[in-house]
Amino acid sequence: MRKLLLALAALAAAAIAVPLGFGSSHREAPNISLDPAADNTDTYAWTAKDAPGALTVAANWIPGEVPANGPNFHGFDDRAHYYVHIDNTGDGRPDVSYRFQFKTQIRNKESFLYALPGANGFNDSKLNVVQRYNIVRETYRYRGRRGVQIKEKTIARGLPVAPPNIGPKTFPNYQTFVDQSVRSLSDGTKVFVGQRDDPFFVDLGATFDGINVRKLTGNQGEGKDDLSGFNVHSTVLQIPERLVTNDHKAVSGADASNAVVGVWSTTERKRLQVTDATRARTRGNDWVQVSRLGNPLVNEVVIPLGKKDQFNRTTPDRDAALYGKYVVKPELAAILNALFNVGAPENDRTDIVQALLQGIPDLNQHKGVEGPPAVDTIKLNLGTPPADTEDRFGVIGGDVAGFPNGRRLGDDVVDIELQVVAGILKNNPVPLGDGVDRNDKPFLTVFPYLAGPDSGFDSRPSTRVEPGHPPVPAGG
Amino acid sequence: MTLSRPNLIKLLGPLVVFCAVLVVLLVQSGPQAPDLPALGAGSDVGRPSGDPVADAQAAVRSAPGSAAAYASLGDAYLQRARESGDPSFYTRAERSFDAALRRDGADVGALIGAGTLAGLRHDFAEQLRLGQEARRAAPDLARPYTVVADAQIELGRYDRAARSIQRLVDLKPGLAAYARASYFRELSGDRAGAVAAMRLAASAGGTPENFAYVQALVGDLELARGHGAAAGDAYRSALRALPSHPQALVGLARLDAAGGDLSSAAARLRRASERLPLTSTLVLLGAVELAAGERAQGRADLAAARAQQRLYFAAGAAPDADAVLFEADHGAPLRAVQLGRALWERAPSVRSADALGWAFVRSDRAAAGLRWSRRALALGSLDPVFRFHSGMAAHAAGRSGRRDLDVALEGRGLLTPLQAKQAQEALR
Repeated sequence: MRKLLLALAALAAAAIAVPLGFGSSHREAPNISLDPAADNTDTYAWTAKDAPGALTVAANWIPGEVPANGPNFHGFDDRAHYYVHIDNTGDGRPDVSYRFQFKTQIRNKESFLYALPGANGFNDSKLNVVQRYNIVRETYRYRGRRGVQIKEKTIARGLPVAPPNIGPKTFPNYQTFVDQSVRSLSDGTKVFVGQRDDPFFVDLGATFDGINVRKLTGNQGEGKDDLSGFNVHSTVLQIPERLVTNDHKAVSGADASNAVVGVWSTTERKRLQVTDATRARTRGNDWVQVSRLGNPLVNEVVIPLGKKDQFNRTTPDRDAALYGKYVVKPELAAILNALFNVGAPENDRTDIVQALLQGIPDLNQHKGVEGPPAVDTIKLNLGTPPADTEDRFGVIGGDVAGFPNGRRLGDDVVDIELQVVAGILKNNPVPLGDGVDRNDKPFLTVFPYLAGPDSGFDSRPSTRVEPGHPPVPAGG
Repeated sequence: MTLSRPNLIKLLGPLVVFCAVLVVLLVQSGPQAPDLPALGAGSDVGRPSGDPVADAQAAVRSAPGSAAAYASLGDAYLQRARESGDPSFYTRAERSFDAALRRDGADVGALIGAGTLAGLRHDFAEQLRLGQEARRAAPDLARPYTVVADAQIELGRYDRAARSIQRLVDLKPGLAAYARASYFRELSGDRAGAVAAMRLAASAGGTPENFAYVQALVGDLELARGHGAAAGDAYRSALRALPSHPQALVGLARLDAAGGDLSSAAARLRRASERLPLTSTLVLLGAVELAAGERAQGRADLAAARAQQRLYFAAGAAPDADAVLFEADHGAPLRAVQLGRALWERAPSVRSADALGWAFVRSDRAAAGLRWSRRALALGSLDPVFRFHSGMAAHAAGRSGRRDLDVALEGRGLLTPLQAKQAQEALR
């Protein structure tokens, strides 16, 4: 879940948790539910221009990593499971999943340093902390509503995670680590895992400030990217189509029956039994999903407070039953109307359900499935050719290779979702937006596509301001 | 739609409300309401200032009708109390939660905050009531179970507490759930299980402070089972994450004291209490100084502990088990018995039984002391201090107490130097 404020919140206030009152033995353990290492921030799925026969997925975790965070540099948790899921039938159940499991090695336990100055590459003993991972590929076969058979195969072992970019003295050539972290597996899959610049861009502060309302509704730039300069931990996969489609074949074109896949990412943590008495009850179910992310901002904007933990725990196939009503009658539409009088339809928003959860007919809707069910997955038609020139508004900007047909790194999902909620699909175009149109750093044209992380030494979060421009869409 | 200048001005009124609504939405959408600085129209260009109290005050100003805004202010005051060790922030937190609940009696954040505050003041019945209300208001949310489980533990309702913690684990395994599972296992004498669960909590981490806090608890658990080296690793790991973390400093001081280096122990404890003036740290400091023969300094620090304790009582905190033990060891044992009986009425937990038992022993009523000590061990706890109390009670009652004292000495790192000496003498 991308918690918009988490980055700033983490800066502003560490959650101090010490026993209060008189005693030391009276435990006042933190009652937080904050869990950044397990927190999915964003999931992206698209067809890369330089890899037209493959599904490219980027899944990010750990929101708001401040580059200059020593000595506590961020990393994946060795005791959690990280997943990328692919649904190739449209029912919201995973058909192929990739599970990342990590193991951290500390070479010199006496040292508090992550690395000694000049560390160059994973084999350099000056690198004190090395995190490595395995990938387990799971394939699912369903029988009826409940029965499922899961096959597991470890497809990668002991690959290195690109470390946090501490600074030019410690890592004079950080790119060495990146290069050594890009790997090709024997089945043709390409993978990178490590720290990257957070590709999300949004103006958190000014969006909610009176002075900037004109720009907010006008979508004409001048926003400040509050996530510029923050890093995340990414897993990037580039998977040959035949490994993810429902007929195990490459996709012949946009009309092919195997063309659409749904993608999302999750994190699981270990369940434990508090006592022997509770042991019997929970047998055989050792992991609990604690975070998930399909379409951006769904948990923040759509799901009410009391349901957020449940949303993180449940699977997309139950979305329509559990959360459908919050989409059909979105609170945000009513708020936008009450305050800006933008004429957003407040009820029967089947247009939003279709755009985000069912897929757009003849574009990214799964073929041959009844309904189709409303499931929170990023639905991508693998047969849609990548656009020569990307439009940040994606499909509503006339660029059918962008969000919500998949999600590219540059798609301006904050502006798109605001305009969709305001009713652009029901002939009510309103130039809403946060004034930030693109990421602070350009994305790479080659794998792993996400921009490199700011180093701790060069860290200067939140500095980029979007240049002004005429309102988009102009006729709003 | 286009916005002309006059339209914009008309919008500014509703805008304040808009900001307020967004503040509420964003605060609520956060994973951790207490730590989210609210964005308010009244604050500088709506950005968080870095001061949670100021941000929450701005949110309250821009949305005076919002329960969530007041709840966030209460949480900010609770955090301020934690950071400073100054319990006077409890009173302000209470006023904020009251204001929130007047606006919406079912606001989950306010119920959780008020319940947490009740627990901090050792009003566990009220903590339980508020936690259960929060659970009713949001049955699918994990956080209310932390409040409910903490209260059930202190009220001695262990079966229910186990179920609440299990539910918490099932709903959302993470630091808060793992740390509570660990505590329950520790109380039940499952030391290896307690360490395993607390290591999971440390791995789940969170902020450096959260990590350091649970890592210091890993150290205490290792110390209790006599694994001094592992305990030292854990404390040092906590200090790497957060230099001068008070609990980790206290842990290293315990290791120093167990190794006979009382002056180093005292220096660390002094640093810890300067960082955060917890009563328990000052009591341990006084005890270490007394053991080192520095009687004047020891008495001065125990007096400081008593002064700090008064601040907590003034802020509405009821005496807890540690207050009873402090009175028994360093005050008037008969008064400790009175406090202990009152404590048992409010909080019939194994910890209360242990404290009351020790108050009896110190009042030369060994038989009563032994009876209460047995109740303290009803769950099978291997806590070195419980076992020391129980063993000494048995010894005073004319029995050997050997089994308990052996367990206590195995975890001597958690005893004071005087306690360790007394246990050894009793075993001779």
